[in-house]
Amino acid sequence: MTPARYDVTLDRVGGPTRTIEVDEDETVLEASRRSGVSLPYGCRTGACGTCVGRLLAIEGAESGDDTTDADGTPIDVAEAFAYRREPRALKPRHRDDGYVLLCIASPRANSRVAVGSRVQSELVDNPWK
Amino acid sequence: MSDVSTSDGVEPDHEHHHDHEGPGYSTPQAAIEEGGREKLAYVMSLYVGTDVDAPDFVAVVDLDPDSDTYCEIVDRVELPNRGDELHHFGWNACSSSCHVEGLERRHLIVPGQRSSRLHVIDTKDRRNPELVEVIEPEEVFEYDLSAPHTVHCVPDGKIIISMLGDADGDLPGGFLELNDDFEIEGRWEPPGEIEMNYDYWYQPRQNVMVSSEWAAPKTYYPGFDLDDVEAGNYGQKLHFWDWEDGTVEQTIDLGEEGLIPLEVRFLHTPESTHGFVGAALSSNIFHFWEDDGEYRAEKVIDFESREHDDWDMPVPALPTDILISMDDRYLFGSNWLHGDVWMYDISDPSNPRKADSLSVGGTFGEVQEVQGRELAAGPQMIQLSLDGERLYWTTSLFSSWDDQFYPEEAERGSVMLKADVDPRNGTMTLDEDFLVDWGECPAGPARAHEIRWPDGDCTSDVWQ
Ligand code: FES
Repeated sequence: MTPARYDVTLDRVGGPTRTIEVDEDETVLEASRRSGVSLPYGCRTGACGTCVGRLLAIEGAESGDDTTDADGTPIDVAEAFAYRREPRALKPRHRDDGYVLLCIASPRANSRVAVGSRVQSELVDNPWK
Repeated sequence: MSDVSTSDGVEPDHEHHHDHEGPGYSTPQAAIEEGGREKLAYVMSLYVGTDVDAPDFVAVVDLDPDSDTYCEIVDRVELPNRGDELHHFGWNACSSSCHVEGLERRHLIVPGQRSSRLHVIDTKDRRNPELVEVIEPEEVFEYDLSAPHTVHCVPDGKIIISMLGDADGDLPGGFLELNDDFEIEGRWEPPGEIEMNYDYWYQPRQNVMVSSEWAAPKTYYPGFDLDDVEAGNYGQKLHFWDWEDGTVEQTIDLGEEGLIPLEVRFLHTPESTHGFVGAALSSNIFHFWEDDGEYRAEKVIDFESREHDDWDMPVPALPTDILISMDDRYLFGSNWLHGDVWMYDISDPSNPRKADSLSVGGTFGEVQEVQGRELAAGPQMIQLSLDGERLYWTTSLFSSWDDQFYPEEAERGSVMLKADVDPRNGTMTLDEDFLVDWGECPAGPARAHEIRWPDGDCTSDVWQ
């Protein structure tokens, strides 16, 4: 049986948008490399956060293009992606805010994700400033 | 060679010998006399965490003032993969093997801090080094280790690398041992000796090794979060090991004033049990020494936080790197957030006396550009000439931490700067004619981290 495929649209912050096809049993990072689309990455084990994206929309979900749906519930990453292993680089607040580690995430729906190094720098800011 | 061979036909052993058949120098003073001026530097250079689609590289920088390409990156050894985050690196052999015939200081072990991939670079042709070996992350993960950091060679060709996490980027870390064919031998220590790990240094004649603590990779990789400090996820301990046995003999908790002890250095003199460690977050320097069979540690330098109009909280100094001059007379360091490099007289190690400092780059630096080039960050990794007369530094700490504190570093790239040091009078002057700019790299602006000389330096050589 051929694995299901999903369209994942990679919306680079400050750059071009590309849609790639990702098999349900490969990660978005693997598919991006296969498709010649460059994404930042580091550990490839879910520990470092370099590959992080922010889920913007899940096709078919009511939320449309917004990261929260009508009653303000944040978008649920689990509806769009399954993780191969524990996403250790993300704190609960990041998970709630729709951040997703693309090196260990495989698609379960068509989706749109903000990507690029600027997403990584959203995870933490200068705590003293 | 300045010393007379005392060889009596007996195999060199761990006793004090002056036989000098192998790499390096027979004593720290011999390094000063025989090392000569550094003409090239190898510098860790990286693109991780930016959108530049290129692998990290080892930069070869021309430091010969008589050369046409002085202050230029004259060669780049590109690695095969992206995403490594080159950080620290070390030699296959140093002065600790100076009695071992046939060994050469020739191969650089270059770990990827984020990828856990290990590279071996042959520097036989110093200006055009060559990648010869790659150990893939999967091979490293088999030993339930990740996040390689400090590389030291140990006598007889072995290489030991401090590893900050387990295969998941969690705790505990440990140490990985390579053999002289650059194959993984296994874990150096019995697992479970430590939780957190970071830098280490050994003093074989005293049969001691000291290691420090950063945090679990999953904690520090994504960036610095104060919640993690409150949760106790950052280190504050020093571990003193039995060097022969690979077991921790004593752990010193430095307490709140010793948060995030990073670079740890013993004095070069092989007889000494004195050393220093910089507690980056608490912005203190600790002196440690052995007293009646036990190690002790005491805060000896305290950098005050400073108010800045643009900051809500006083800005900590963040001393992220320290080193000891080859003659053991000065401790040098960098305050990355404030923007200082400094030198303290440590001829009485319990009472460091400030000799001089330079205010350059960073949040408060008086000098904010060199040759018209704006400095995007403060001084970070430092390296000193063997004769103690030239201090060099780069400006990147760690890609994700740079992005928090100096976001412009990603756009502009790092620089390497230099100060001329007068060790006799204990003074430093910024050399404004010296500038190496990673902003000009062909693929885009790169960051620059640790610096090494081809013939050994103040942060790599150890004496048996
Ligand atoms: S690359 Fe490190 S978490 Fe994905």
